[in-house]
Amino acid sequence: MRKIYLLGFCCLFFLQMALAQQSAVKLISANLQQATIAQFVSDIESKSSYHFFYDVTQFDSLKITLQVVDKPIETVLDMAFKNTGFNYSIADNAVFLTKGRALRADLAVGYTTITSAQPAQTNTVVDYTDDKDKKVPDATTENKLYEIGTRTNSIKEGKALLSGYIRNIKSGEAVVGASIYVASTKTGVASDAFGYFTLSLPRGRHTLNIRGLGMKDTRRQIILYSDGKLNIELQEQVNSLKEVKISADKVANVRSVELGVTRMDIKNIKQIPTAFGEADVLKVVLTLPGVTSVGEATTGFNVRGGAADENLILLDGSTIYNPAHFFGFFAAFNPDIVKDIELYKSSIPEKFGGRLSSVLDITNREGNKKIFTGSAGIGLLTSRLNVEGPIIKNKTSFIFGGRTTYSDWLLHLLPEAYKHSSASFYDLNLDITHQINDKNNLYLSSYLSKDKFKLNSDTAYSYSNKSLILKWKHNFNNKLYSVISGGTDNYQYDINSTDNPINAFDLAFHINQSTFKTDFTYYVSNKHTLSFGVNSILYHIDPGTFEPDGVKSLVLPQVVAREQALESAIYLGDKYDITPELTISAGIRYNIYNYLGAQTIDRYAPNLPRQPVNVLDSTSYAGGKVINTYAAPDFRISARYILNDNLSVKAGYNTLHQYIHLLSNSTSISPTDIYKLSDPNIKPEHGDQISLGFFKNAAANTIEMSVEVYYKRLRDYLDYRSGAVLLLNQHIEQDVINTQGKAYGAEFLIKKTAGKLNGWISYTYSRTFLRQDDPNAGEFINEGKYYPANYDKPNSFNFTGNYRFTHRYSVSLDIAYSTGRPITLPIAKYDYAGSERVFYSDRNAYRIPDYFRSDFSINIEGNHRVHQLTHNSWSIGVYNLTGRQNAYSTFFTEQSGVISGYKLSIFASPIPYINYNIRF
Amino acid sequence: MDMWKKVGFILVIFMSCKKPYNPPIVASNTNYLVVEGVVNSGADSTIIKLSRTINISQTVNVAAELHAQVSVESDQNASYPLQENGGGNYVSAGLNLDNSRKYRLDIKTANGKLYQSDFVAVVNSPAIDSINFQVEANGVNIYANTHDPKNNTRYYRWDYQETWVIRSNFTSYFKSNGDTVLGRDLSTDDISVCWQNHTSSTIILGSSAKLSNDVIFNNPITFIGSTSERIGSKYSILVKQYALTGDAFAFWQNLKKTSEQLGSIFDAEPSQISGNIHSVSNPSEPVIGYISVGSVSSQRLFIANQQLPAWLPTNPYPECKLDTFLYVYYSPGSKTPVNQVNESLNYLIGHDPDPSIPVLAIGRPGSPPIGYTGSSPMCVDCTLRGSNKKPAFWK
Repeated sequence: MRKIYLLGFCCLFFLQMALAQQSAVKLISANLQQATIAQFVSDIESKSSYHFFYDVTQFDSLKITLQVVDKPIETVLDMAFKNTGFNYSIADNAVFLTKGRALRADLAVGYTTITSAQPAQTNTVVDYTDDKDKKVPDATTENKLYEIGTRTNSIKEGKALLSGYIRNIKSGEAVVGASIYVASTKTGVASDAFGYFTLSLPRGRHTLNIRGLGMKDTRRQIILYSDGKLNIELQEQVNSLKEVKISADKVANVRSVELGVTRMDIKNIKQIPTAFGEADVLKVVLTLPGVTSVGEATTGFNVRGGAADENLILLDGSTIYNPAHFFGFFAAFNPDIVKDIELYKSSIPEKFGGRLSSVLDITNREGNKKIFTGSAGIGLLTSRLNVEGPIIKNKTSFIFGGRTTYSDWLLHLLPEAYKHSSASFYDLNLDITHQINDKNNLYLSSYLSKDKFKLNSDTAYSYSNKSLILKWKHNFNNKLYSVISGGTDNYQYDINSTDNPINAFDLAFHINQSTFKTDFTYYVSNKHTLSFGVNSILYHIDPGTFEPDGVKSLVLPQVVAREQALESAIYLGDKYDITPELTISAGIRYNIYNYLGAQTIDRYAPNLPRQPVNVLDSTSYAGGKVINTYAAPDFRISARYILNDNLSVKAGYNTLHQYIHLLSNSTSISPTDIYKLSDPNIKPEHGDQISLGFFKNAAANTIEMSVEVYYKRLRDYLDYRSGAVLLLNQHIEQDVINTQGKAYGAEFLIKKTAGKLNGWISYTYSRTFLRQDDPNAGEFINEGKYYPANYDKPNSFNFTGNYRFTHRYSVSLDIAYSTGRPITLPIAKYDYAGSERVFYSDRNAYRIPDYFRSDFSINIEGNHRVHQLTHNSWSIGVYNLTGRQNAYSTFFTEQSGVISGYKLSIFASPIPYINYNIRF
Repeated sequence: MDMWKKVGFILVIFMSCKKPYNPPIVASNTNYLVVEGVVNSGADSTIIKLSRTINISQTVNVAAELHAQVSVESDQNASYPLQENGGGNYVSAGLNLDNSRKYRLDIKTANGKLYQSDFVAVVNSPAIDSINFQVEANGVNIYANTHDPKNNTRYYRWDYQETWVIRSNFTSYFKSNGDTVLGRDLSTDDISVCWQNHTSSTIILGSSAKLSNDVIFNNPITFIGSTSERIGSKYSILVKQYALTGDAFAFWQNLKKTSEQLGSIFDAEPSQISGNIHSVSNPSEPVIGYISVGSVSSQRLFIANQQLPAWLPTNPYPECKLDTFLYVYYSPGSKTPVNQVNESLNYLIGHDPDPSIPVLAIGRPGSPPIGYTGSSPMCVDCTLRGSNKKPAFWK
C-alpha cells in the first residue's frame, strides 16, 4: 500500500512536470459490462491521457457496468464507483483509486488564501463566465474548487448572486427542498419545486453544505467572483434503509419561516406499515400531528379541525377530487411514481388558495434523464409497474406508472349474496419533462384513475379522476423566474342499475375545472424574495343527470342545471429577512369569485327560512353572465425569530376562502357525494387561523422537536337538515344550514432523523366544535349550541419508528392511539311500525371507545451489489398487530322488531401482508 | 345513495366485524308522546296508538298512554271522537271522510296537555295490482305492484301480516287431564298443526316520483329464506298499502334510515325526526309520529310448498326426541317387574317441573297400554307458538 502511494506521489510530480501544459477538460465515452478494474482502467487510459494508480488486491471483487457518452472524467468515475465504497481523486492526469477514504489531491484549504494575488492552485481552471452560450457546470465533486463568475485577479468587495439547479446525479431529476447552507455567513436557502436556488453571498471562497431529501449530504467549494451559475448534482442515498429523513432539511425545522409544514419523502412513506402492504401517501398523513380522520378506510382526513373537503389535494399541480380507491382503502397515488408529499397545515403559501384547512402537495418524480429504469411490485391485492427513461438524453425524459387490482378473487370468497360482485380499479401516470434550453423547461403531467364496482349484477358504480397539466418554467435571469401552467382536472361518477327494468336508471355526476396559473419568483436581494402571480379556475359542474336505462324504464330524465363559476386570485408575497434572526413572510391573495349563468336563481325573503313558501322570485340568467361576485382578500403572515442556533420561535396568521363545497350527510365521505359551488344563496366558506410554535434541534440536528399551538375559526361551513336529500336536489339551498366552527389545539412532535433508530413521536391535544347559527335555517342541531365535530379526537398519540439492523434488514413499528370519536347515542326508545325505534341524544354527545392500533413490518432488501440486473426487496408485515377491534362506529338498529346496539369494526383482526418489489 | 350502504356491507363482511355493543347507560328523563296510526278515510276502522318513549335500558317495552281524549277534526271544525280500547289504542268505526277536506288529529292527554297534528290532505291508496313472488336461489322474494292511473299518488308505504302453517315434531294422540292420560280428540284438540303470525317490523317504502308514470313495479316487500319454516307447508301474506304525501314519505324514510339502515361505512348522521304532531302548550317539546289520512288497500297472497323447489325447512327444535314412560320396568337380567306408574304419570300429566306431553300409547292393540311415549311441550304442542284455530281467510 505504502509503496503504491509512494509510487503515486513520484508519478504525480513527474507527470505534473511533464504534462503541465495539458489542462483542457477531455470528454470520455465508455461502454463496459461487468468489467474488472483492469479492463476499466485500460479502457479509460486508452481514451484519455489519465493514468490510474490503485492497489489491485483491493479492487479484485469490483465489477463495473458503465455506459457514458462524452462525460468528463469525474462523472465517469462517479458513476463507476458510486456506492461501491471506493473513492477516487484526481490530480492533473493522475487518478488515485482508494478504498474507504478519498485521497486528497488538492492542497489543504487555507493553504492558499483567497486574497492572494496568485490564482488558486486548482486543477480545473475553467472560466465559467456568465456568458449565455456557455454551459453551466455540473458540480459533481466535493474536492474541487468551482469558480463562479468572471474571474478577476483579486476578489472584489460586496456580494454576488449564485443560482442554479440541484439535481440527482443518477436520474437528472430536480431535487426539491434541498438546502444549501453556508456556515461562514450563516446564510442558507432551499431549492424550489424545480430544484432551483438563488443565493446571495459575499464574493470570495465559500463552502456550500448541501443537504437534500434522500440524498447524500455533500459540500461544494466555490470561489465567487461575480454573479454566476452552478448546477449541483447530488448522489442518491441508495440504501433506503439507512436513514429516515422526515424533513427536507435538517436545519429547516428551526430556520424556515413556515409553521405547520411537513415534507415527507416516499422512502419514509414506504417504511410505514399499511393494511395491505401498499405504501399509502394518505395514511402517512394521518400519522402527523394535527391530522385526524373519522375512521379507518375513509377517504377524507381532517386537518386541525377542518372538514375533509377543506383540503386541497394537488398532484403535480392538478387538483384531485377523489384521492382514494376502493372506498378509501387505498390512496389513488402510485407510490412508485410519487417523489414526496408536503402538507401545509398553517402557513399556506400565497400561491395556494381555495380551501380552508390545508394543502397536500404531492410531487411525482421526473423520469430518469440518463438511463432506462423501472420497477414493479406485487402485493396481495394490487400490483404496480413503472418505467422511465430518457427520450432525448439529458434533455427529455418520461416516467410512466400503472397500478391495478385483482381483488375479485377476494370478493368471490364471500357468501353467496355477494359472490357475484366485482370490484376493480387502476391508475395511470405519464409525466414528460423536457429541457428546451438552460432557461426554459417544460413539464407535462397526466393522471387517470378509475374505480368500478358491481354488486351482485345489481347496481354498477364507477368513478374516475382525470388530470392533465402543462407547466412552462422560464428563467428570465438569475433573480427572476416564472412558471406558467395550464391544465384541466375532471372527476365524475356514474351509478347504473338495471335490475328492475321499470326503475332502471343511469345517474351521473361530473366536475371539470380548467386552471391557468402564472407564478413568479423574484429574488430581489438577499433580504427579499418576492412571489407573485395570477391564478384562475373555471369550474363546470353537472350536479346530477338521472336518465332511464333501457326501453322498459319509466324513469323520467332529470337534470340538475349545470353550474359554472370562475375563481380568480392575484397574489403577492414577500419573504423578508430583517436580521439574520428575524424573518417575516407576508402575503396577500385577493380572491374574486364569479358565479356564472346559465342558471335560475331563487330569491328568498330576507330573514326567513329558505323554504319553498318563502321564495320571492326566480330569475333566469343567460349563459356566461355573471350572476354574483364574491371578492375578498386572504392574508398570509408568518414570522420566525431565531433564539439561538438550535432554537427558534415562529408565529403565523392566515385567512382563507373556499368557494366549492362537498355535500355529504354521511359521517365519512362517500363516493357519491356531490360538489356544489357558492351561489347567491350559498356563501363562500371562510376561515382563519393563528398559530405559534417553538422549534428546537438537538444532537447535531438529528433530533427535531416542535411545539405548536393554534386557534382556528370556520364560518359558513355547510351542514344539512335532518333527512336532507342531496343528490338530484334542485333547491339544495333549502336543505343546507350554515355552520360555524372553532378549533384549537397543541401539537408536540419529536423526530429522530438519523441513526439506526429513527422515526417520530407526536402527541396532539385538539378540540373542534361546530355550531349552527344560520338565522334562516328554521331548525338547529343541538338548539344552536356548540357540539363536537365527528372528527373531534382530543387526545391523539402516534409513534412511527424504524430500526435498521443492517443495510438489508430493518423493522418498522407504528403505534396509534386516539380518543374515540364522538357519536350520537339513543337516549330513549319507543315502538313504531312494528319495531322498537330510538330517540337520539344531542348530536355527538357521547364517544365510541378509544382507538388503539399497532402495525409491524420487516423490510428486506436484496443484496446491495450496484451492478446487477435487478434489485429486489420484500416487505412483510402485520397491520393491527394486537387485533384490537377498534370501533369504527356504534349504531342501533332493529333486528326482528327489537332494537340492539352494535359496534362496527374495520380491520378487526391482525392483517398480514407481503409485498415483493423489483427494480430494473 | 342507499346502495352505497350495500357496498359498505361488503367490506363489513370481509374485513370487519359487527359485535353487540352496550353503550354506557344513558340516564334520561325523556317521556315524549309517540303517536302512531293512519286516519282511515274510508269505511275501515281507524286505530291510533298512543305511547311514551322509555329509557333505552328499560326492558319493559310498553308505555301506553291511557285515558287520553283523541279526535279527528276537519278544517271545517267537524269532530270525530275516537274511543279508548285499552293498551293505548284509540279506535273509531269507519269515518267515511270527505276527500276534498283536510283533517288533523287532536289529543288531550290525561295530564291535560294538548297535542295537535298539522292539517293533512286525504291521500287514498290506489288498488294493489298484484302481490307476487319470485323464487331465487336461496329463497323467495315477495313483491308489490301498483299504479295510479291519475299519476298523483307517487309515494307509497306497505306493511304486512304473514301467516303460515307450523307442525309439531310429534302428533299427540293423548292428553292429560291433570290426573290421568286420556285420548285426544284430534278434530277439535289437535296441537300438531297451527298457524303462526308475524307482523312486519320494517318500514317498506316505494316511490315513483322519478318515473314518468305513477307505476310501482316489483317493490320488494319481504324475503323468505329457503330453509324458513314459513314456507315449509303453506304460507300467506296480507299486504296493506298506504299512500303518502311527499312530506310523510320523507318522515318515514328518515325513520327508516336512522333505525334500520345503520352500520355501514357511509352511515347517515343519526338525527332526530320531526313529524307533523306538535304540543300546543310547549312547541319545543318533541312529539314523535306522523299522521296521514287516507284509505288503505290490501291484497293477500298464498304460497304453497308445492309451488316452490324441494327445499327443506330447518326444524326449529332439532333436539326433539321421544321418551318412553313405561308403567312396569324390568331391570336388565332381572325378571322381577318394577312398578313405576307414579313416576311415569308424574312426567306425563305435568307435575314434574319439566313435564312431557304423551304422544302414543305402548302396548298390544286391544289391551290397556303399558306406558306412553312423550316429548317436551315445544316438540309436541304447536299452540305454544301459534294458534290451532284455522284463520277465517285460510284456503
